[in-house]
Amino acid sequence: MTEIAIDRPESRRMGFFTDTTVCIGCKACEVACKQWNDLPADGAVFRKTSSYDHTGSLSASTWRHVRFVEQTEPVPLPDLPAYGGGNGGHGEVDLVAAAEAHGVPQMDRWLFMSDVCKHCTNAGCLDACPTGALIRTEFETVIVQPDVCNGCGYCVPSCPFGVINRDPYDGRAAKCTLCYDRLEDGLEPACAKSCPTDSILFGPYDELVETAKGRVLALHERGVTDAYLYGAGDEPGEQLAGELGAFFLLTAPPERFGLPAQAESPAQENGPVATAAGLAAAALGLAAAVGAFARAHRR
Amino acid sequence: MSHASGPPPEDRIREDHRRAVEGAPDGGRDTTPAVGRRGGPALWRRAVEGSPVALARQAFKDARWSYLYKDDTSYRVRNGADANERIQAAARRMRGSTEIPEGVDANGPFINAPVWTWEVPAYFFLGGVATGSSFVALAADLAGDERSAAIARKVTIAAIGPGAPLLVLDLGRPARFLNMMRIFKPRSAMNAGAWCLMAFSTAGGAAVAADVLGRRRVAKVLGAQTALLGTYLGSYTGVLLASTAVPIWARSRLFLPPIFVCTAVATGAATNRLVLAATGMPSGHPTRDALGTIETVAMGAELALSSFNEKRLGQLADVLEHGRAGRLFEFARWAVRAGLMLRFTRGRFAWEHHVASGLYLAGGLAFRFAWIEAGKASAGDDEAVARMARGKATVKDRLRDGRTTARVRTSARHPGRDARAARVYADAVRRLSLAIEGVLRRG
Repeated sequence: MTEIAIDRPESRRMGFFTDTTVCIGCKACEVACKQWNDLPADGAVFRKTSSYDHTGSLSASTWRHVRFVEQTEPVPLPDLPAYGGGNGGHGEVDLVAAAEAHGVPQMDRWLFMSDVCKHCTNAGCLDACPTGALIRTEFETVIVQPDVCNGCGYCVPSCPFGVINRDPYDGRAAKCTLCYDRLEDGLEPACAKSCPTDSILFGPYDELVETAKGRVLALHERGVTDAYLYGAGDEPGEQLAGELGAFFLLTAPPERFGLPAQAESPAQENGPVATAAGLAAAALGLAAAVGAFARAHRR
Repeated sequence: MSHASGPPPEDRIREDHRRAVEGAPDGGRDTTPAVGRRGGPALWRRAVEGSPVALARQAFKDARWSYLYKDDTSYRVRNGADANERIQAAARRMRGSTEIPEGVDANGPFINAPVWTWEVPAYFFLGGVATGSSFVALAADLAGDERSAAIARKVTIAAIGPGAPLLVLDLGRPARFLNMMRIFKPRSAMNAGAWCLMAFSTAGGAAVAADVLGRRRVAKVLGAQTALLGTYLGSYTGVLLASTAVPIWARSRLFLPPIFVCTAVATGAATNRLVLAATGMPSGHPTRDALGTIETVAMGAELALSSFNEKRLGQLADVLEHGRAGRLFEFARWAVRAGLMLRFTRGRFAWEHHVASGLYLAGGLAFRFAWIEAGKASAGDDEAVARMARGKATVKDRLRDGRTTARVRTSARHPGRDARAARVYADAVRRLSLAIEGVLRRG
């Protein structure tokens, strides 16, 4: 029951494909996002959790967040060529062999994931919003209209991914718009534009999913059998919130990245059941009150 | 209001910077933002309306450039016939099981904690009292006790009166409260609740006005209408909490609304019992007896439902036992138990039963605050959120079963042109809200 709020029949669904296997954790996307969207600084604080990630999490003033997953257990290096198809085949340096020779496999590894609003098909925030500030655009992305939002805060616990939040200084909710203003002018979002390793790909949704599938299969062929898509390509019964507009290629269980293994719009999942239970209980309560009065007065 | 105090971080950074560069020969660097203020809408207009932007190319061609995923790299392979099955199997392997894989920590934060402050549970309590009173009014009317019914209708209005102001206070932008009425959106429990609150208050107010004017029959009809609206007003607050991603609320989806209804009926009956006793209703009057029965049965049911729900939730219910939520629950439970005990002491003194009613009210209030606090604690419980997403949060009410229940599904639909009046109305409310905000900000 989504309503695309803007009438523009020729537009297509646009999305992000974030490939975490090529992310180097440079945080250029975070900076580009803050610059383009004129988002305020949060102050750089190194946290006590022994992580080098000082952004912490997505917030009302951080719409892209490169999550650092610092893993302490050593893992064997996968056989990934540094460039092209050859394993040193074209006279290149075999970096994997070189690294193994120098004992690098015993090193801890970091996983990086550039997190962002998922622009869900079944969006919990959009279902919860009582003012209609949250809408779906002609690109099937979900945005907050800052001139409508009155800061009720209901979208905050309604997001199964912990994306949208209320700004404690401004009073309104805010999140990634998939650079709606840039999209309207035919430009790709700021984070994707700035990504130096093409970890963040932007494009028409269907094309992105095809690219992503090819990437997963390529990784499988090279021995990274843990590679999978988070939020796209699933069977209808197993989809995350009915497919995510911004989906990810991950190589570890979703919990490592602070992502739920399954998700659904909470309002769609629990609303009808809870309403039925509530109304039934209320009807029962009213009947019981009427009954108690009738009984007391008959005596 | 949950506004942060003091200047926002960017202002503090700017101030530090100013202090650091003050007296510098070049006068320092200008760090004011390019446009607008924190969170403000970007107000800009292009030089020529409709003109393209530099770098913009047809069909997002600026995004098509890539050195990685063109066909001349080994970034990807061509998708074979079994590609879809292999992709689905890979995802199922990593996120399909009902168990978090061995050795994987829940590396949160997963979800954001609710930002609501004391106003919301206070409103829940008052809304509950109003709902219960409207039920009492209808029941008294049907039993022929017109005096009690009229008083109950007044109690209803007195209780619901501060409700809307409390909700406005909790908003991040209180001046824009009217936007709640901008659209009608039944799938948002908060929107439906706001409309219901308005209808309930209007009907209840009109019933009291009819009472004052001496129109008994009109008051009766309006009172019945208020009670019918009350069935939603008393239960939607539970739906509101259950329709979120917070584990303790979402997994209590079948119990939270009935629990809230029980609290509403009990506190409403207790309030009316005390008010009627204060206005000179003798003990032994059937209405007082009936109210005593209702409050006791409802509170007993509340206690039983809560305990059963807590057992059912298993590990998830830890947040109901520790911290602030735990203390509030403990207080609420003991208040209710003490009230029940006083109720069954045969009542040698009249005040015993009054104390019992007071204890029910205190317990009801504490239950409301406890549920909100429990939600905040539960949202921060990474383990619980991760387990709920794996469908293993509870033993009986598993998430996977929930997927098969009837629910509203999202499907792409383009905006209809027929809803023009609704659009005009929504835009008018939006403009009015902004105007109110402008006036209040200037003042």
